[in-house]
Amino acid sequence: MIAASGAVVSFPALSLLIILPVIGSVLVALLSEKRAEYVKLAALLTSVATGAISLWVLGAYDAHEGGFQFVSRHPWIEPWGISWHLGIDGISLFLVVLTGVLFPLVIAGVDPHHDEKRYLAWLLLLEAGVMGSFLSLDLVLFFLFFEIVLVPMYFLIGGWGYDNRIYAATKFFLYTMFGSAFMLVGIVATALLARQDLGYVTFDLVTLAEKSSFATDTARWLFMSFAIAFAVKVPVFPLHTWLPDAHTQAPTGGSVILAGVLLKMGTYGFLRFGLYLFPEAAVWARPLFLTLATIGIIYGAIAATMQTDLKRLVAYSSVAHLGFIVLGTFAFTDQAITGSVMQMVNHGVSTGALFLLVGMIYERRHTRAIAELKGLQQVAPIFAAAFMVVMLSSIGVPGLNGFVGEFLVLIGSFSTARWWVVIAATGVILAALYLLWAYQRVFHGEPDEANSSFAELKPREGALLAVFIAAIVFTGLYPKPMLERIEPSVKKLIEHVEDRSDFVQPDIKRSEGEG
Amino acid sequence: MVDLAWLIPALPLVGFVTILLFGRRLGDPKAGLFAALMPAAAFVVTVLVYFDVLSREAEERHHVIKLFSWVPVGSLRIDMAFLIDPLSVTMALFITGIGSLIHFYAVGYMHGDPKFSKFFLYLNLFVFSMLMLVLGENLLVTFLGWEGVGACSYFLISFWHTRDSAATAGKKAFVTNRVGDWGVMIAMFLAFTTVGTVSYSGINEAAEMGHLAPVTATAIAMMLFIGACGKSAQLPLYLWLPDAMEGPTPVSALIHAATMVTSGVFLMTRVNPVLAVSYDWAPTTIATIGAITALFAATIAVAQNDIKKVLAYSTVSQLGFMFLAVGSGAYVAAIFHMVTHAFFKALLFLGSGSVIHGMHHEQDMRRMGALRKVMPITAFTFIIGWLAIAGVPPFAGFWSKDEILLYAFANNRALYVVGVITALLTAYYMTRQVIMVFYGEARWNDHSDDHGAHGDFKPHESPKIMLFPLVVLAVLSAVGGAMQLPFSKSTHFLEHWLEPVIEFGEADIKKSWAYDNKWLLLGLAVIIACAGIAASIAVYAKKKAKAIEPAILADAWRYDAAVSSLVGGPGKAAFNALALFDAKVVDGAVNGAGIVTRSTSGVVRKVQTGFVRSYAVIVSVGVLLVLAWFLFRGVWA
Amino acid sequence: MLAETLTGPEIPWLDLGWALTLLAGTSLLLIVGAIVPRWRHGLYATFTALTTVVSFVFLVVLWGRVTDDGMASAVADSIAFDHFAVLSLVAVLVSVFLTALVTDGFLRREEYDGPEMYALYLTAALGASVMIVANDLIVLFLGLETLSLSLYLLAASHRRKTESQEAGLKYFVLGGFASAFFLYGIALVYGASGATKLPAINDALRGSIDINTNDALLLVGIGLLIVGFAFKVSAVPFQVWTPDVYQGAPSPVTGFMASAGKVAAFAALVRVLLVALPSRIDDWQPVIWALAVLTLVGGSVMAVVQTNVKRMLAFSSISHAGFILVGVEASAHANRTDAVSSVVVYLFLYSVLVIGSFAVVTAVSGRGDGATSLDDLRGLARRRPVLALALTVFLIAQAGVPATSGFIAKFGVITASVDAESYALAIIAMLAAVIAAYLYLRIMVSAWLAESSDESAVEIPRGLGIAVSLCLVFTIAVGVYPGWLLTLADKATTFLGA
Repeated sequence: MIAASGAVVSFPALSLLIILPVIGSVLVALLSEKRAEYVKLAALLTSVATGAISLWVLGAYDAHEGGFQFVSRHPWIEPWGISWHLGIDGISLFLVVLTGVLFPLVIAGVDPHHDEKRYLAWLLLLEAGVMGSFLSLDLVLFFLFFEIVLVPMYFLIGGWGYDNRIYAATKFFLYTMFGSAFMLVGIVATALLARQDLGYVTFDLVTLAEKSSFATDTARWLFMSFAIAFAVKVPVFPLHTWLPDAHTQAPTGGSVILAGVLLKMGTYGFLRFGLYLFPEAAVWARPLFLTLATIGIIYGAIAATMQTDLKRLVAYSSVAHLGFIVLGTFAFTDQAITGSVMQMVNHGVSTGALFLLVGMIYERRHTRAIAELKGLQQVAPIFAAAFMVVMLSSIGVPGLNGFVGEFLVLIGSFSTARWWVVIAATGVILAALYLLWAYQRVFHGEPDEANSSFAELKPREGALLAVFIAAIVFTGLYPKPMLERIEPSVKKLIEHVEDRSDFVQPDIKRSEGEG
Repeated sequence: MVDLAWLIPALPLVGFVTILLFGRRLGDPKAGLFAALMPAAAFVVTVLVYFDVLSREAEERHHVIKLFSWVPVGSLRIDMAFLIDPLSVTMALFITGIGSLIHFYAVGYMHGDPKFSKFFLYLNLFVFSMLMLVLGENLLVTFLGWEGVGACSYFLISFWHTRDSAATAGKKAFVTNRVGDWGVMIAMFLAFTTVGTVSYSGINEAAEMGHLAPVTATAIAMMLFIGACGKSAQLPLYLWLPDAMEGPTPVSALIHAATMVTSGVFLMTRVNPVLAVSYDWAPTTIATIGAITALFAATIAVAQNDIKKVLAYSTVSQLGFMFLAVGSGAYVAAIFHMVTHAFFKALLFLGSGSVIHGMHHEQDMRRMGALRKVMPITAFTFIIGWLAIAGVPPFAGFWSKDEILLYAFANNRALYVVGVITALLTAYYMTRQVIMVFYGEARWNDHSDDHGAHGDFKPHESPKIMLFPLVVLAVLSAVGGAMQLPFSKSTHFLEHWLEPVIEFGEADIKKSWAYDNKWLLLGLAVIIACAGIAASIAVYAKKKAKAIEPAILADAWRYDAAVSSLVGGPGKAAFNALALFDAKVVDGAVNGAGIVTRSTSGVVRKVQTGFVRSYAVIVSVGVLLVLAWFLFRGVWA
Repeated sequence: MLAETLTGPEIPWLDLGWALTLLAGTSLLLIVGAIVPRWRHGLYATFTALTTVVSFVFLVVLWGRVTDDGMASAVADSIAFDHFAVLSLVAVLVSVFLTALVTDGFLRREEYDGPEMYALYLTAALGASVMIVANDLIVLFLGLETLSLSLYLLAASHRRKTESQEAGLKYFVLGGFASAFFLYGIALVYGASGATKLPAINDALRGSIDINTNDALLLVGIGLLIVGFAFKVSAVPFQVWTPDVYQGAPSPVTGFMASAGKVAAFAALVRVLLVALPSRIDDWQPVIWALAVLTLVGGSVMAVVQTNVKRMLAFSSISHAGFILVGVEASAHANRTDAVSSVVVYLFLYSVLVIGSFAVVTAVSGRGDGATSLDDLRGLARRRPVLALALTVFLIAQAGVPATSGFIAKFGVITASVDAESYALAIIAMLAAVIAAYLYLRIMVSAWLAESSDESAVEIPRGLGIAVSLCLVFTIAVGVYPGWLLTLADKATTFLGA
């Protein structure tokens, strides 16, 4: 059903989304260290251009068409049946836009403090990788980007991070690579086993998903091989422990990107590859992942409550938030999956903003220890206000973006995963607990000696945060434009699952009476 | 006119935005006055809407205004829409009405506060959220307001955030409320999965047409009630309300007396058909919890010395009354009491605020006394409020409370008795407060060293802008009962007005013994009230008997202390344990894998001695192994 | 008269042109090098490089002929020409070409510039080539010894460096040890089959259905052959010599050993197994499987705690050998000969990578070729950013990160092994790669992230620079667009006589 269809475009927008950053990266690498301003300019321009294209795609995207749009497909490694196959649908659309927008903001708004040139080069390479993962419709192509992302991220954490950066970077690299080790074998096996149905070897996602079918057990093995990789990336409890280290040690820009888009490669992978390729297996694996997700929600929240490092706290809150996304993914209802997709973006925005704010605190105080911060609201009310809004969005207060996604996930999952939801919903209590407690310790009270000189929000920082807060409020109050673009694709996906498994989405009708 | 109802929440929102942008420039007092005008204007609109709705037939009094489609996904279609019907209009009326009064009061009260404009920023936001809550056409819009008021209450309780107690109180309020919100969310999920919608009309119709299985109905009702317990400070979740008194007094009056804390009652009334079709034990539970809370809080109020704490516990107790009414199917009475309570409790809080203002932020009643001489208007209005809450006819509180007790009697006599005792205590502790504050000898200058004022000072009457709301509220508290008088069917104005909303759920007690003898009960109520007052006068004015104020009551039956020590002790320990588990076990496993590899590597590398002889040995061993295998294959296989 | 009776086999000179070129090159270098006292800067290297180029041209022709006229045997069936052979030969030539470029600057830095090493490279290449085309165990042994002897000398060629001497000696002793096993294996196989030509052995074994004692002899023979190869490809537990020799030998030589040496050994191994011994697959395949696992895990794990870059790369080359063995194991499965192409591709790509890596090491090791510890790499990114970048690319490629040739190599092998349904081996290989990645990360950390201890400039001789750039471009190019190579390799799936 998910056929490569949709808008005929005048230029290969999607390929550009990947290639532009690469060009930018090379350009930056070639420019001389001496002319820092040119370096920055080059990086900024390419990333802005990429962002602009992503927005153009958003504008030109046909909201009623659930299939892949802007599809561009060229043979790449013909002997192996690997093709350069890109496409975008409601599930990837907003992740691509988020990526396109987030990078210029980070480049413009966050300073690396040293070796800016290298920093920018890696950052742009990272953008290309992330874009690629969200756009690829070929398993090997996807794996290529999924894996390549590790390198720039490794160097960003290792090169511009904090005290324990090498450990964190290595852990991140090896842990993720461990996950993808299984996936690569899975990818190859998938293509080779599908040969029996297809008569030829191809790694093309759509072909494999639509035309091939696997024996039940085979499919389950294959699904798990993908699932391990994604579960590490998300991360799903208990594979999450690389995250707090990576987040805490990464430079602010890195954390923002990591939380904003990198983690979504896992949750996105579950939807795009796990469910789409192996519907029956995904249905079979539901109880496992619903449980892990629910544990993650509670577990992450509790762990977050007890952190003494503000950044680490936010990192653990991510574990909890992503739990909601996974929960929704494996609930298999329109609302739940739409909610998940939306929550991927929302979490990117709010947690991204949180990391920015924590970064700004570090800039000013050179500590992330909650115990050393006090009474900041007294000396920097606007800063505090910004933090408050972002925090409330993260807590999931209605009217802000965080709520819509979480609510959809929960209300959607309730019909297919009732008791998990009942437990998971308590996560919203804990979310309030750890964030408000942290806020009280950091912002309330009388500022002591060290904190009384805490500087108020600077114009540049303010402008940067304004973008995030605008997004937070708008999506919270008027999510419809987003939802109506996500939903058709989600519907198709669920129908696909229903066709290929005994799963049936409970159909909820409004009981008669006026409509 | 009804179609303009969207203006009602819109106006405070405008106020909020304006102050957000220009608040500092407007400054003190302009920002406050501007902020006050918004709810005032909203009040005017509401009145117009009220008359419009009133002019229609009973069945016409249900009007939905859809602004835009909010959360449409698949079969889930949630609109940003308002439901204009007698209930919501009633709520909107007193929210905007009392709201604007309190805004004006606050202009005086907050005068000179460095964060003056910010205060009104929050206040407007609160009014907006509160209106969303009551006007919402579906559970989600209500929930938007529900959480909004929660957030505002958090902001305002911890308004003086440099005080740790204030910060903590705010956090406590928010988190405790979240516990309730969990219930509301689950209720929404249940509603959607069973009825396919979260709109009130949809849910209620399903209930009325019997599409709602009792078990589901019960589940929904109970889940909503959990939410109500959080917002409306019922056992076991009432804990946050007394602490909420850390906020500026206008806040206590507006949020923690008149409006927000009553939203639980509103919600239950809103879905009264669901409650009606659920198992009998559901309403009984609600009524019981209400009654117990009422008595529980009243006993505590008896022993409080903080002028606001008394009122806080009294609020909890009065809310208990309202839930007693809800549980007894007396929705009209519940709303009736909610409104009158809004009048006199707002009055009392503002009065106490005026006293605190006059006493330079002294809140301990033991350091007051004889204030009626120095602040006559405050005293006079406060006394009216006292009579109203004590249940002395013909003041407002008397009528509403009596109505509740009447239904309670018809529904469950045990609970009636509890209610009566509570009424007695109410009269008793309120009298105690009035005496301690306004009568007896002046005690302001005893140990004046350790309170705000230096040396010998004279409390002063508050400025006019603070007094005029007192007067208005006093009038309302005096005559408010007129909206629902028991004399004849024709004087049941409120009941007729609310008819379309509550007819399905409202209990019919026409046949009951209580109804036939309601005059008897009425008389009994009067006697109870007078008894309470008399006893209190005897103890506190005439000093005929020793005051009974055991410590256990003073610190609220140690319930709060118990809970906090539970959370702070085992709770925190458990959390820490998990955090440790994460670091040592889950992450330990990961690092462990690394360490194991390293150490193995360290061991294995030792074979690389660098000596050819040892290498030769290793190679030979390898050779032997390989040959062994092949021999095995060749000879045995 | 005598001449009539004793007619030697007829020799297709043209087809052997590549080998003759190497031979000629060697002789010229030695003779002219002896006569003419001192050649101009870089002339030795240039000459060697040109020799390989010429040889390469012959190979291109040969490739064409094989494509048109099909596979052919020559010199009385003792050598075979097929695509597999030609491709492997090209790999060997490439390693000589690049190594020559690297060696030039190295020799002048170490101040004993001369023709000897280049000559040895060429003889080694000759030996390697003979191994590759050998269709007869005896010929194979000749090639093996030629190669080995050249390598022993090369390893020991750093005159002022005792480690180098020691390395040469160790390699010599243990190598002799292994050769002995190998030779004995040949004897036993001959005893059992009565043939030394690979196809003939196969026919003989196919014929002898009746299981008798001499089958045990045969199997022991096979075992000893495998041992001999295992030593050459440094498969665990026959890898013991590798770390010491790789570390001690002059850096360019190490690169050469790891490339040309491995190519030859693996090419010969595959040919022998698939051409001569297919009928005994069930016997030897488990051994290959076990060797693969041991080599993968052993190589990666032992690398973890090393601190000398050359030694680390030695272990990494061991784990790469494991990966190639995975391909060999896969090609053992019935009609999985396409796996063979994955082996040759892996060898080809790895050769370039490893020479590139050791070229960088050569540059960094500095005068005396001694500075090869992790600390000596510190802050390389500051001193020589481009060199550091090149090293990084070579390393992440060896780690198998996509968009580099390393990924293509690994992907091919994994595909082959999955296609052969030996999933367990595939997953073990991937996990071993994860462990191995740790060692590459550690090297990168020193190069990029560790603060530089000394600011001493690393100088890059021209030849070395060219070599590194070529490797770099090749690594990326193949990573991004590997199609052409794979199409070529797809031809190299069958052997003469298999």
